[in-house]
Amino acid sequence: MDQTTMIMALVPIFLIQLALMIFALVDLVKNPNPNGPKWMWGIIIVVINLIGPILYFVIGRKNY
Amino acid sequence: MNIVEVENLTKRYGGETAVEELSFILEKATATALIGPNGAGKTTSLSMLANLLSPTSGKIIMKKDISIGFLPQYPQFFPWLTAIEFTELAAKISGVDIKQARLQSIKTLEFVGLENAIHKKVGSFSGGMKQRLGLAQAIVHRPELLLLDEPISALDPTGRREIMNLLKSLQQDTTILYSTHILNDAEEMTDQLLFMRDGRLIEQGSLKDVKKKHAAPYIQIKFGNSTYALEFVSNHTWKCEVKENLVLLPVSETGPTMQDVLYVLSTEKQDIIGVEFQDASLEEIFLKVVANK
Amino acid sequence: MKQFLLLLKKEQLENIRNYKIYWIPAIFILLGIVEPTTNYFLPQILESSGSLPEGAVFEMPTPTPEQMLAAIMEQFQTIGIAVLILAYMGTIAGERKSGTATLLYVRPLSFKAYFLSKWTTASVISLVSVWLGFLAGYYYTFLFFGEVALIKVLQLIGIYSVWVLFIMALVLVASAIAPNSGFAAAIAFGTYLIIQLIDGLFGLNWTLSPVKIPQYGVEWLTGSPNSSVWGAIGIAILLTLLLFALGSWTAKRNKAKTKV
Repeated sequence: MDQTTMIMALVPIFLIQLALMIFALVDLVKNPNPNGPKWMWGIIIVVINLIGPILYFVIGRKNY
Repeated sequence: MNIVEVENLTKRYGGETAVEELSFILEKATATALIGPNGAGKTTSLSMLANLLSPTSGKIIMKKDISIGFLPQYPQFFPWLTAIEFTELAAKISGVDIKQARLQSIKTLEFVGLENAIHKKVGSFSGGMKQRLGLAQAIVHRPELLLLDEPISALDPTGRREIMNLLKSLQQDTTILYSTHILNDAEEMTDQLLFMRDGRLIEQGSLKDVKKKHAAPYIQIKFGNSTYALEFVSNHTWKCEVKENLVLLPVSETGPTMQDVLYVLSTEKQDIIGVEFQDASLEEIFLKVVANK
Repeated sequence: MKQFLLLLKKEQLENIRNYKIYWIPAIFILLGIVEPTTNYFLPQILESSGSLPEGAVFEMPTPTPEQMLAAIMEQFQTIGIAVLILAYMGTIAGERKSGTATLLYVRPLSFKAYFLSKWTTASVISLVSVWLGFLAGYYYTFLFFGEVALIKVLQLIGIYSVWVLFIMALVLVASAIAPNSGFAAAIAFGTYLIIQLIDGLFGLNWTLSPVKIPQYGVEWLTGSPNSSVWGAIGIAILLTLLLFALGSWTAKRNKAKTKV
């Protein structure tokens, strides 16, 4: 497999992770009442790859 | 016509009795105030009538397929729905047909004063707005029976007044049962009073009957000093009470009317400061009833 | 039926507005992609990390494409199902706990419609996520490890879907029983693990056990279908229907537990 195909294959993984992260961050900023401090969720979303945004959506969001 | 008949309604949680042997009747298009201190069993009683709780014993007899509207003390909403989306859903679940539901929802939201928030998400609502939306969802399907748990206690005085007026306007064709501890407001909209304490009904009847029983209205004459007051009492055979310079004449069938009193006073040259018709407030009566039992 | 459609619309709106409709599929797609990718790059990663002694020749059998698809399914079976349980644990329990259910329960609500609308919505999102995850994983497997007949993959997806529908019914029943979301997740996880454990320990001859459905899917991928696969699917569907009845009944019985 040549280099370009490999990069093409890897790009979607980063894109999806990035999209989830941005999505979670934008939602966090708009969230008037998250379940816990905003800065903490910000760190969790950015630092913990993949699991961070999921944790935020499941626990942190509180369905506003 | 009786809309609801409650017979010996009792609710126990383990050893705790929340409501005991409650019996009353709600007549069509009447307003009944359920009055009592916190923990008296008002919410439990309303929840049983709303069919959320089943009674431990006793019966609730209602017209078949009666439509009920219920407003909990702290109504909770799906924050991600808009006001109109929620009232429409509520109306449709309660059987309003699809086309009518939207129209009725808009009308109802306007009626409760939420015309500027129809398409706003409920998550952004203030406490007062939620209370109004709570009332809207309770009446959107035009229920025959409206159950309201402390509908006005979370509101400021202006909001209270406004909501009481709305409720009064519904009274013509809706049977209303509401709990409250704000007795001044209850006084305005009460065909029947139910006083509860410790899960029991300690007094019931019409506002007039309850007042008569526990604190009849009286005519109060205020004299310049207590000598005049005593003099007045000795000159007349009316049943009365003297409190310093005040003479209190209970109003009853055999007692004097205001007209009689004014006539007599006009013929006597005494130092009179004022004559007033005095009515015991519901609050005084309630305190009296609670103290008596 | 009328109430079912009404409540279905409410559930759809909820899942759109809390973004579940986006993030759950994203996670499954990621799970599907990451598995073949890491497997493909694993030898290179190990080599470059320098943990191997000088001169050691690194030999690792390259997985077949079928093995890769089975590995993706394994990911769904663990992380995927965990995500679904967490995402839907509060569906009923949460509504009761917060009191939002009260204003529905005081109406002439059909609890069958109520339960089924929730199961349908959760299931549609879960199934679409699983399908997209498998298809993305299939594409990556094809890229890195070679071809598998599409029809074989579709068979696996189809069989695994029955399992997912059953699990979602289990999650919603747990949510109908439990007093809060955390409890619901514990019941769902617990049951999910216990049935697998029991089947693993004692169920060697229980060929019709629904727990074996994922395994049958993999067997079919690599060879011919196990003769018990249809029986197991039938029993899974039957159990799902029983869970519907249990869920509606429990939701109704627990209506008094909603916060007033």
